[in-house]
Amino acid sequence: MTGNIVALATSTFLETVRDRIFYLVAIFGFIMLASTAILSPLTVGAQSKIMADVGLASMVIFGLLVVVFVGSNMVRKELDKGTIVTILSKPVGRREYLIGKFLGLNLTLASMLAIMGLLFLLMLLFAPGSFSLRFLGAFYLTFLELTLINAVVVFFSTSVSPVLAAVFTLGVFTVGHLSQSIRDFGQMQGGVFQQQVSEVVYYLTPNLEVFNLRGSIVHGTAVSGEHLVMATVYSLAWTVLLLVVAGSIFSRKELRGE
Amino acid sequence: MIIQAPVKNRTLDQEATGTPQADRHSVVTEREEVSPSKPSLAPAMVLEVRDLRKSFRSGFLKRRIRGIDGVSFSVNRGSVFALIGHNGAGKTTTINCILDLVHADGGEVSIMGLDHRDPASRGRVGYLPERPYFFEHLTGRELLKFYARLLGMPKNRRAARIDEVLAMVGMTAYAGRRLKKFSKGMLQRIGLAQAVLGEPDLLILDEPMSGLDPIGRREIRELLMDLKKAGTTIILSSHIVPDVEMIADTVGILKDGCLVAVRDLDELSNGFSYTGDLALGEAEPAWLPADCRTQNDGRARVQVDSVADLRNLLNDCHREAIPVVSLATHRSSLEELFMEINGETPLKREVVR
Repeated sequence: MTGNIVALATSTFLETVRDRIFYLVAIFGFIMLASTAILSPLTVGAQSKIMADVGLASMVIFGLLVVVFVGSNMVRKELDKGTIVTILSKPVGRREYLIGKFLGLNLTLASMLAIMGLLFLLMLLFAPGSFSLRFLGAFYLTFLELTLINAVVVFFSTSVSPVLAAVFTLGVFTVGHLSQSIRDFGQMQGGVFQQQVSEVVYYLTPNLEVFNLRGSIVHGTAVSGEHLVMATVYSLAWTVLLLVVAGSIFSRKELRGE
Repeated sequence: MIIQAPVKNRTLDQEATGTPQADRHSVVTEREEVSPSKPSLAPAMVLEVRDLRKSFRSGFLKRRIRGIDGVSFSVNRGSVFALIGHNGAGKTTTINCILDLVHADGGEVSIMGLDHRDPASRGRVGYLPERPYFFEHLTGRELLKFYARLLGMPKNRRAARIDEVLAMVGMTAYAGRRLKKFSKGMLQRIGLAQAVLGEPDLLILDEPMSGLDPIGRREIRELLMDLKKAGTTIILSSHIVPDVEMIADTVGILKDGCLVAVRDLDELSNGFSYTGDLALGEAEPAWLPADCRTQNDGRARVQVDSVADLRNLLNDCHREAIPVVSLATHRSSLEELFMEINGETPLKREVVR
């Protein structure tokens, strides 16, 4: 079982590499350089903070783009083209297949974040006094957040078209960052209905603000070990839940019509 | 009723376990016990399909359309079973249900004693789909490595086995080329290579020769003949009757989702027939039926069933100086049966005197 998952994950990773997904990293590097050159004169005394802000936000955006657009197409492409039938005609379970594809994309994500993180730290070396290893916490939280989003896109891609899967996943990403605010807003409203709706939204969508400590990290606060552990558990719990449901849907799916 | 395909090559295992050779087209009443932990004691029956049913929902109103209905047959070790039928008859659906790529509405499928829904049942199965499509980002060799890993092939055996199958399908020279640059014929060959990679006990091929040029078809056919000689059990679907006649031992004819006939080809094609193309020119012999004469090129195609009729035909042509452009010998029985089942008139013409 593990061998199958590793084989599928490796193949998926190789596919993204050969599809030149990593070109996005070059764009990231360009944005980092541009932020230094263009924004620095406008931000006297806060150059390093602006660089860090732009860098961390870019990492999330590029990671999100890869996960959403590669992930939404990943399974559907194989269903449409038929590559999946020769794979599943081997002793490979459908859940194994899905987990392999998920892990392959996550490996791509991890590699991209690692390269972008390295570029980010190298750029900070040129801004005196701004280099700090506390940014590693921000990288890790971004990885956890996008891992969860990867599971969301895999979940949607098993049941709806790639376009809808991408739209729904971006919706979950947006609502996930607003879920706490939605809940607070609902509590402030007098009506029971609004309160219940906001509670439902809060519990049905992952709270992605758990992973968003970028602002405080940029301003010099390191992430606590306790928070990192809790965020890891939170991300893993959602990921496992989504993959279990996705696996169940995918197991019942007809892979070929007449 | 389960219709059992004949055993062509009795294996040593069968001899050793004393499994009796099944009667042709006999009704199977008991399923053989199979121990997955003892693959060397492989059963005589490689595949058993019982009352397989599948329908699809289609259109805005999601109306049910019958895919296959009550398909039952079994295939014994070493035999070649062909599913033939017109387009949409249910050949691919049957294969997809066997491999659990689509979920059957009902019925049972057992692959070497294991339920087909168990992924382990596919461990000894090789499959080539119709219009195979593989990861374009991989090279031929990388693709086979990927499938070798999925098959759980030991690492130290992979390279040698991959070289072996690449040579078998004539793709050694292109093994380092990415699949996106492969032609249709090359994809078909690499598809066949992945299907035979794990030295399967059961090889399932869906239209293996469709879309190939005549040379490609011949090469694939020869490869299948070699696999057959090596004792591989093969199930193939096709609507190209002559190809089936050359390879298969038994044919199952599907019509509108039902398996309407299963025949042993040896029994079916005891009689040969002969087709002669005659260049009539201005000559119009009285003995030639009017509908044998073609309107455009002044030629006629005449089919006769016996050597005596053939001799008479040639004598007549010689006497009346009618050139015989070509003369072909063929076994037309399967084609006739196929046409008859599908409600078409056979091509055959009688020489009327």
